[in-house]
Amino acid sequence: MSEMVTMPTMRPVDVAARRDAESQTTRETVFDIQGLQASYGSNVAVKGVDLEIYQNLITAVIGPSGCGKSTFIRCLNRMNDEVPSFRHEGKILYHGIDLYGDGVEPVEVRRRIGMVFQKANPFPKSIYDNVAWAPRVLGLKKNLDERVEKALQGAALWDEVKDRLKRSALGLSGGQQQRLCIARAIAVEPEVLLLDEPASALDPIATQRIEELMHGLKEEYTIVIVTHNMQQAARVADRTAFFSIDSDESGRYGVLVEYDETPKIFTAPSDKRTEDYVTGRFG
Amino acid sequence: MRVSFQEELDQLEATLQEEGSLVLRVLRGSLNALAQRDVELADDVIAFDDDVDEHYLQIEEGIQSLLARQTPVATDLRLVLAMLHTNLHLERMADYSVTIAKLTKLVADVEPDPLLLQSLEEMGERAEEMIRVALDAFANRDLQAAESLVDLDELIDRSNRRFVDRVIEIVGEAGMREWVLRMVLVSRTLERIGDHAVDIGEQVAYLLTAEFREFTDASHPEQHA
Repeated sequence: MSEMVTMPTMRPVDVAARRDAESQTTRETVFDIQGLQASYGSNVAVKGVDLEIYQNLITAVIGPSGCGKSTFIRCLNRMNDEVPSFRHEGKILYHGIDLYGDGVEPVEVRRRIGMVFQKANPFPKSIYDNVAWAPRVLGLKKNLDERVEKALQGAALWDEVKDRLKRSALGLSGGQQQRLCIARAIAVEPEVLLLDEPASALDPIATQRIEELMHGLKEEYTIVIVTHNMQQAARVADRTAFFSIDSDESGRYGVLVEYDETPKIFTAPSDKRTEDYVTGRFG
Repeated sequence: MRVSFQEELDQLEATLQEEGSLVLRVLRGSLNALAQRDVELADDVIAFDDDVDEHYLQIEEGIQSLLARQTPVATDLRLVLAMLHTNLHLERMADYSVTIAKLTKLVADVEPDPLLLQSLEEMGERAEEMIRVALDAFANRDLQAAESLVDLDELIDRSNRRFVDRVIEIVGEAGMREWVLRMVLVSRTLERIGDHAVDIGEQVAYLLTAEFREFTDASHPEQHA
């Protein structure tokens, strides 16, 4: 009753301010990226990136081709280590620990921070073996059946494949293969899922399933998704980082232009470059 | 980039401004009909509302189609939303003008009170001025002009108060009661047109600042913009 008495004094503008305050509830920082510069040989891919990624949120990375968004996401689980010419400067702190620090094992990094790629890349093995592969390699052999089932359920694929687990994964549709890759990534119970354009090769229905799946997965995982589909970022992400291309005498390189709550990026971005990109006036 | 999309946005905005010009014509017609007790002109005004409605529908359908196909964001999204609201405000203004025309017809054979008529003409001119300011503020993306509508609205309200004082004086006079009561509705209508012009100003402010803001708030009169 007391609420009903006080309500009329709340102006719409006050309600809006209070909503803003609620949306900024403090969340735990998973990645604290400080002054990141990533290069391949003498080519700088991204420069001066400062960014915090928060737990149990979906963070989208958008930007034009060549802005370094894939390089950036690959830095988050040391996927670039395999590229001989790759170098980085600055720090990527994962729960306060420098991912590239001495004594940090890349394999352990990738167990905690899983990745799914643009093109579904199942092994030419059975559906079961695809999901069981990483747990086996990591020695997580106890209750393997349960683990596989849980991962397939987590990836919203179980009902479709439970009767053909021993059949080849290559017989699955493109959308199913991509969800299998997500199951494979979550089978080792990582904390973070990195998705590099996971739906760009899929039809709209398969894309919608992946997006719905992401929505469910963020209850348990922190998700970072690179996408060239802006509407996908707008639909799925809590926060969005916009990267663009800058240049100086040393050449062209990617920069982080703006990072904010997704609705802000798509209704009232702070930077003209973001505005031009999201409204399609870029270039 | 997205040339056709930009053209569609420009076209919608041009149609909105056209609708605004029509509203000004409808309002002027209704004020003239009232002052001159011109029933024929009142009928023209009532019929002319169809033109405004046609523009209104064209904008509604255009925005619906644009939202379905183009997914506007950022400034584009705010422009589309501001046009959607402004369209409705303009259409309501035209409806109010039709109300004045209908009231005019009902009391066309009564000799009017010159002082009251003068007040209504004054309010009408101020309403016209506000519509012009609102439309120009929209077209020129002029926040200051949009905010000035609050002060202009105060002038209409002041005329309205003078009008009420005069009503109280003459409402008891024999043969005037019906006419006066009808004119109270006309005055109320003009006052509402002013409010809708302020609302358009708020849409301009939203378009420019991305903030939802009421220029005036009846429950917080001390916090005027």
